[in-house]
Amino acid sequence: MRVTLKMPKGAVSMQEGKIVEWLVEAGDAITKGQPIYAIESEKATIDIESPFTGVITPIAKVDETLPVGAPVATVET
Amino acid sequence: MGNLASLGQSKAIAIYRTMVRIAECDQRIQQGLAAGDLQFQYYPAGGQEAIAATIASLLEADDLAVTTYRVVHDIVAKGTPIREIMAEMYGRATGTCKGKGGPMHLTAPNSGLMVTTGIVGAGTPIAAGLALAEQMQDTGRVTVCNFGDGAANIGAVHEALNIAALWSLPVVFVCQNNLYAEYTSFAESTASASIASRAEGYGMPGARCDGTDPVAIHEAAESAVARARSGKGPTLLECVAPRLQGHAFGSETAHMDQEALAEATQNAPLIVVRKRLLEEGLATEAELAQIEAEAAEEVDDAQKFATESPPPGIEELDADVFADKGDIPYASSPVARQGVEPSGEHRSITFGQAVNEAMAVALERDDSVFLLGEDLHDPAGGIVKQTAGLSTRFGLDRVRPTPISEQAIVGAAIGASMRGMKPVAEIMVNDFAMVAMDQIANHAAKLRYMSGGRTAVPITIRSLSAGNVGSFGAQHSQSLEAWFAHTPGLKVVAPSNAYDAKGLLLSCIDDPDPCIQIEAMRCFFVPGDVPDGYYTVPLGSAAIRQEGSDITLVSYSWGMQEVLAAAAQLEEQGVSVEAIDLRSIVPLDYATVRESVKKTGRALIVHPAVEFGGFGAELAARLQFDLFEDLRAPIARYGAPYTSIPFAQVLEAAYFPAASGVVERAQNLLKGGS
Ligand SMILES: Cc1ncc(C[n+]2csc(CCOP(=O)(O)OP(=O)(O)O)c2C)c(N)n1
Repeated sequence: MRVTLKMPKGAVSMQEGKIVEWLVEAGDAITKGQPIYAIESEKATIDIESPFTGVITPIAKVDETLPVGAPVATVET
Repeated sequence: MGNLASLGQSKAIAIYRTMVRIAECDQRIQQGLAAGDLQFQYYPAGGQEAIAATIASLLEADDLAVTTYRVVHDIVAKGTPIREIMAEMYGRATGTCKGKGGPMHLTAPNSGLMVTTGIVGAGTPIAAGLALAEQMQDTGRVTVCNFGDGAANIGAVHEALNIAALWSLPVVFVCQNNLYAEYTSFAESTASASIASRAEGYGMPGARCDGTDPVAIHEAAESAVARARSGKGPTLLECVAPRLQGHAFGSETAHMDQEALAEATQNAPLIVVRKRLLEEGLATEAELAQIEAEAAEEVDDAQKFATESPPPGIEELDADVFADKGDIPYASSPVARQGVEPSGEHRSITFGQAVNEAMAVALERDDSVFLLGEDLHDPAGGIVKQTAGLSTRFGLDRVRPTPISEQAIVGAAIGASMRGMKPVAEIMVNDFAMVAMDQIANHAAKLRYMSGGRTAVPITIRSLSAGNVGSFGAQHSQSLEAWFAHTPGLKVVAPSNAYDAKGLLLSCIDDPDPCIQIEAMRCFFVPGDVPDGYYTVPLGSAAIRQEGSDITLVSYSWGMQEVLAAAAQLEEQGVSVEAIDLRSIVPLDYATVRESVKKTGRALIVHPAVEFGGFGAELAARLQFDLFEDLRAPIARYGAPYTSIPFAQVLEAAYFPAASGVVERAQNLLKGGS
């Protein structure tokens, strides 16, 4: 099944987040709980852990700023 | 660490099972947050699972609990179906609160979880009240009250611990010390090395334990629960269990001791308890794997249930503000107002005596009614004899003097009212209600709504307003009705005479919603015709004190004295005055006012409270909008100036609205209009 990962709301005030780094590459097998990318919001830089195990295809580019809820990657679980 | 075996095999496994169910739920929510499917501030429970799971193993299903926004461990352990928890997280109609409370206010009275508050420490006085109701009804039920180490430093907790010890209430206070309050460490906010050591100062036992170890928690909590159940009173437990993440999902952890965090993560209770179960031979790998698989399945099912459930219907928006939507100001179909007619003999007694009589009647006819407040007991019987004779007649259990603890007074009333009691709490003087404003405005007013109607708070608060009797100054003379009226969920009652004071108070006591009756000192010693025995004046029914056609004067409480005096003078000058006494501000009898102003074309709204932002502004704006075409003059207001209340008599006299000012303003409106 393909699931879409969206820009999470990482803090109370967060409206959008900037992808600062991808910690995995397209086609990588990832496991639930593994940090997959880092975002910078108004407050701080945080690593987002994968909610699923599967194979990832990033959508968002580094330095791209996206609103909360926008697609960031897909995972084939 | 003691052996898990000492708990008995089945209990040890049951505790692990609960911990796994908590963790599965917690992780699944964070999974939804990480995937961007859920978007809210979430406070993870990781590291604190053993506290909730172990304490729950000592409770009966119908014991009660209160907790905070960091709630998932406590509510899962208390036995609330995970389906309902998940559905609330998703804001669905099938959630614990019909999607109206959300993750910070999960409420599940069916499983005993009575209150989840987002206000730090505020659950403690309410827990005392829940326990008070159980004590008064002699049920043997125990209330567990959870709060954080940060919360231990807020005033409400102090008031609650004292009152619980004083009254030997069946409550167990559980401070879940996760070593941080948001971004501040325990050491940065607390000079003392322990919270439990404070217990002695309150006159109750205290115990500090390793909150990651079920054996240690069980040992500390077992005697606390037994003590509460046997009627001996409260205990303060401190369970230390390091937080394993930032404060909320996505919160930074830079302020946390990284080495300690790594160590705590490695020794997370979930991992360690699992290992101990295996090492002690209490369970096999296959058995534990089975428990874990079952929990995952349960949460899968719950998540599916949640996502497939509908959101609440739009009609829910204004449901559960009050028991009946028709009590909301300007409701399209207001509640029909029907009082109980008096049958007793009429006598002349003062407003204060009428209030006393109302309480006596209520105590006499309904065992669930009780009074609490400062100095209520005989021989004083209240600062103005408002409760004189009642403690002698009904006993100190039902006419209950309290410490000077406004938050605990209101909180205890709230909690007791949620469990079948009808408390009448006295806030001695209106101004002191500010001290309890969190309990009044954030809790009494909101619990019904936040719980989606699963709980209700039928309390009555009575409070003196000592304005314009001379010498009380800025902090004992205010009229705060607009503060209260601005909080949806509170009913605000302001009688002007003895008959109404009794009849309205009896309505408040029977009302399903929280009511505040403001009793003006200016009216307190004024006699009036009052029937003996039971009768009610319905809330939300204004009284037309005199009919007229040139101008409508609207007021309430002691403002009516000035209005009626002014009306007499105006009549002498040939002006036909209609005088309306609102009697209650919420519910508001808008129809009566509107009809009158439509007829007269002029209105002056008078109140002793500050004019700026006062209730008159609300009513004037609404009348102006609805009746623009019918008006012969602008709607006018007459309240106090924008200053604190002065002491010197000449200044106080200039400050408060008076009959002469009413006459002057009315004349201006009559001159200015057509
Ligand atoms: C009265 C009040 N003040 C401040 C806050 C903001 N706030 C929310 S949680 C929190 C920290 C509370 O820490 P603690 O009581 O230790 O509980 P924990 O979050 O660690 O479980 C604060 C300051 C609040 N919700 N209520």
